[in-house]
Amino acid sequence: MTTSEMVETVLERLRPALNADGGDIELVNLEGDVVRVRLTGACSGCPSAEMTLRVGVEGALRRVRPGLRVVPVL
Amino acid sequence: MDPNIVVGPNPRMRAIFEYVALIGPGLGSVLVTGESGTGKEVVANALHQHSARRNKPFVAVSCALFADTLIESELFGHERGAFTGAMAARPGRFERADGGTLFLDDIDDVPLSMQVKLLRALQNRTVERLGGTRSIPIDVRVVAGTKRDLQQMVAEGKFREDLYYRLNVLSLTLPPLRERREDLSVLAEHFLRKFFARRQQALPPISEGVMMALQSYDWPGNVRELENTCERIAESCTCGKVRVGCLGASVLFPSTDSEFGEMPQQMSVTDMASGVVNERRGPELSAQSYPDLPLDERLRRIEAEIIGAVLAETGGNKSKAALRLGIKRSTLGDRIQRCGIESAQVS
Repeated sequence: MTTSEMVETVLERLRPALNADGGDIELVNLEGDVVRVRLTGACSGCPSAEMTLRVGVEGALRRVRPGLRVVPVL
Repeated sequence: MDPNIVVGPNPRMRAIFEYVALIGPGLGSVLVTGESGTGKEVVANALHQHSARRNKPFVAVSCALFADTLIESELFGHERGAFTGAMAARPGRFERADGGTLFLDDIDDVPLSMQVKLLRALQNRTVERLGGTRSIPIDVRVVAGTKRDLQQMVAEGKFREDLYYRLNVLSLTLPPLRERREDLSVLAEHFLRKFFARRQQALPPISEGVMMALQSYDWPGNVRELENTCERIAESCTCGKVRVGCLGASVLFPSTDSEFGEMPQQMSVTDMASGVVNERRGPELSAQSYPDLPLDERLRRIEAEIIGAVLAETGGNKSKAALRLGIKRSTLGDRIQRCGIESAQVS
């Protein structure tokens, strides 16, 4: 599984709940070990949501591929 | 009534609350069994509140907190000079609970040597302080809490049978939160209201996505974990509505997840119930299975296969499966969890 497929798999799990709230999450790009993701809709710009995203997505990815870093972008 | 008691629609919990109201006024010892965070102390307190003892002390103590040598002086107290550092006489928890209720949590952690002393105290209704000579009469209703199956511990010789019967006059088993998901919304709302009130704020609307996420999480820490989750939300939510983004990462991304093939494979109960496991692993079970794995992992897999096969036969019905396997329903739940079978998909 490629890194971008892995990221998509993780984001896919979160998506139904986010969609129910009128929001979404997308992979912006991958550069080396840096994964850039963006929250759109309801939760975008919320510091709490970004923290959850960073810790959660990064944690899930690192369990498989240590060293990956998640950077939320606006 | 007790503001900590939140009654949701789950029939099993409703029955428990009715039972608590029924046995609360009595004197018999109560044994409360339940996973960590299921509310054993809340129930003990509710029993106290339902009794005529409600204006007397409610003393809760975890038996897991003290070293083997300290637990005796903690429970029974000590006289001055009983041991090095005992500068003054000190009453124990039994004496401090006199006239009221004593909640002995983690009773399964009491060492065997201490169990006999505890039994004596309960039987004679007196305690003797460490280093003391006189018997002090006590009037205490004892409620004991345990995470483990005490009956099983008795069978294994780890818990005294006589003490077990003395404690288990009345017994209550609290279900884990994952088995009472219908109570989630009532509980979440209660805790959120409480923590927002602490910030002098009214309860904001809770989004559908949040409820979805709460429902799909397994809550290994049970109600205590839900309470902490709600506290986190109330502390960090700024937008006037509780949304998915307010939830902690641990709820949205549980560490037991294995969405990638490189991680240890988890089996879902639906897989097992549909017989997929048998196809995948073959129905043959023998001592030669998985020879390359360490013993514990081999046993875990074999156990998972046996449980899976029985669940397949019962169409995923855990009560019937437990009956067929000759174990208690709650034990089956524990084993399913230990074997790494996802229970979230069974309802």
